[in-house]
Amino acid sequence: MDLLQVLQEPWALRALIASTMVGITCGMLGAFIVLRNMSLIGDALSHAILPGVVVAFVIFGYNTMGFFFGSVIAGLLSAVAITWIQHNIKTKNDAVIGIVFTAFFSIGVIGISAISRTGVHLDLKDFLFGNVLGVSNEDLVMTGSVMVMVILSIGIFYRYLFASTFQPTIASTMGIPVKIMHYYLMLLLSFSVVAAMQTVGVILVVAMLITPASTALLLAKRLPKVLVLSGIIGFMSSISGLAFSVFYELPPGPSIAVTATAIYLLTAFFAPENGLLAKWFRRRQQEQKIKAEDLLKTIFKISLGNVVDQTILLEKLSLSASKLKQLIQPLKQKQLIINTGPTTYQLTDSGRKQANDLVRAHRLWESYLVSEMGMHADDIHDEAEQYEHLLTSSQVDAVDKQLGYPALDPHGSPIPSRGSSIKLSLNQLTVADAGAISQRQPGAEITYKLWALGLGPGDAFQITETGDHFMLKVKDQEIQIPALLAQQISVEKIN
Amino acid sequence: MSSPILVKGLSVSYDRKRVLSSVYLKIDEGKLIGVLGPNGAGKSTLFKAILGLISNVNGTVEIFGKDIRESRKRIAYVPQRDEVDWTFPATVRDIVLMGRFPEKTLWQRMDEKDHQKAKEAMEELSILEFADRQIGALSGGQQQRVFLARALCQEADILMLDEPFVGVDITTEEHIIRVLRKLSHEGKTLLVVHHDLTSVQAYFDQVILLNQRIIAYGDTESTFINDNISKAYGAQHTIMLEAGHTR
Repeated sequence: MDLLQVLQEPWALRALIASTMVGITCGMLGAFIVLRNMSLIGDALSHAILPGVVVAFVIFGYNTMGFFFGSVIAGLLSAVAITWIQHNIKTKNDAVIGIVFTAFFSIGVIGISAISRTGVHLDLKDFLFGNVLGVSNEDLVMTGSVMVMVILSIGIFYRYLFASTFQPTIASTMGIPVKIMHYYLMLLLSFSVVAAMQTVGVILVVAMLITPASTALLLAKRLPKVLVLSGIIGFMSSISGLAFSVFYELPPGPSIAVTATAIYLLTAFFAPENGLLAKWFRRRQQEQKIKAEDLLKTIFKISLGNVVDQTILLEKLSLSASKLKQLIQPLKQKQLIINTGPTTYQLTDSGRKQANDLVRAHRLWESYLVSEMGMHADDIHDEAEQYEHLLTSSQVDAVDKQLGYPALDPHGSPIPSRGSSIKLSLNQLTVADAGAISQRQPGAEITYKLWALGLGPGDAFQITETGDHFMLKVKDQEIQIPALLAQQISVEKIN
Repeated sequence: MSSPILVKGLSVSYDRKRVLSSVYLKIDEGKLIGVLGPNGAGKSTLFKAILGLISNVNGTVEIFGKDIRESRKRIAYVPQRDEVDWTFPATVRDIVLMGRFPEKTLWQRMDEKDHQKAKEAMEELSILEFADRQIGALSGGQQQRVFLARALCQEADILMLDEPFVGVDITTEEHIIRVLRKLSHEGKTLLVVHHDLTSVQAYFDQVILLNQRIIAYGDTESTFINDNISKAYGAQHTIMLEAGHTR
């Protein structure tokens, strides 16, 4: 069937107008229903109108206005019953809602079957799933009035609704009639439910109320925008749902509800800020950043800023050559590390600086955990290992300041200052430079060799000679170190 | 001149359990007042009763000599931070502008003057830079300052703050107390529910010691004394307090 041709039929046009109006009405009102945690009440109200419909039918026959007022009265009765029981009887709130709406609904169903025994036919199915293709002009006027009323009410009482939804207590202290707003919203809800009954039916009304609103809440961070978006999404769900149903000959109500759900799911996945995809992408980026930074730090510790051969890295990191290449690639792209030969690497100045800042963040955070949080020095490494990647440089500076610019971390290692690359190998120092032997050496054998020479961690020295061997002045004593060994000794430069 | 808050014979019970028992209070104007007492002493209930939020109370409350319903504009309430839905779609500016709501009739819109007042309040509490952020994207300290900014924006004569220092950083605490001091110098009356007994002397002009009834109310120096504190808290708290002082 050609869609454009169908739309020229009056019944199709009426269906289209009715369902778009219902989409907008329920979308906007639904935002408040969702924010007030009243989704279940919406569901309850829509089921509870059935006895009202039956009674109205008995009194007025098949009459739109009769159905309207019968439904609204039944809806409000159930709302009052729910609120009264919740306040006066010790039953859980959501249980009360369940009790009341199933009772009302059942009475309605019994009523319908009782009527049909007298020979008059009232189709239960129309009320359960809607009959949008049978919308009359009278129905359109009723639905249109409800839409205008809902939009006007939201416009006029916006501040009241906003305040009483966000903080009812504060709204009361400001003199806003919170209880009256609650019942007024219930009234609007009853109106909307009746209007939506024709399009999607009472079972699916709640989908029109909460699905577009929940979608809008994923996208917007201010209430006015949520209201507008929710209306638009409700409108779009209705139109496209109806189009699908006509085109593929599906039941209209469920098509509209499923379309709304599809839009919701798409949004949940692809929303720019809160979407699952965006979250996943951010987490992945963070993980890669952490991996790259950890590698940078490790290379820094192993190489001490010197040229380092791939074989040493492979051994220390226990990685395969291809894996290493893959991990190092992003560092090379950011010019933090360069190839000095086919299999040799060296950190650039900015690479050393960044690694140094990581060490600084790590050690400062460890100090913070011990001195401010009272944690034990043995328990802090893992947490610091995470936080070094998360803290911004200004946060690190703030920690530094609060701790009073400590020189050593809880393990006794010196805390480097910002940006200065003070952790070096001995051979990178020149005559007259002053330094101290680092706490941690690249290997136990280096520590042993130093110990044999009479040098321990933290010992301060001054360089008096470089070349084939290095002469270190330690206190009043001079120690000679071969250049080959000097390359492997980790020192901290003192300015 | 009528007192900002006059409470006469106030008693409140929940489910037959007495929470407040014949409270008489005549609050002095322009003071920064700490409301102290152990958990369950009825501090929050006293606040809610003064604010007219509890329906079944015995006794009367007068705000500047009038019923609370006629003086809503003159009294601002800053609730505890954990009572708030932080996912709500509202920005800092939206919340602070709520302070202008009591001024407006149903048909009046927010105008330039209201936005200016909100801006000044946000500036005062250093949250102007977050004005367009959703309230959930703030730290605890910033969130607390948003609610204080709303109270400022309301330009009320009485401010009632329920535990404003819970879960905020030390910088925010200092900032808030600075603003509260300034307000009291401007003649506003401030009631603050407070837990940390060690900072009472530094923060408040006056204290109310409460435990279901008023234990004592008066200047901090003469009222915040061991005798009264142990009456409100029981003896062991006094010892803890002294330990806190010698630290």
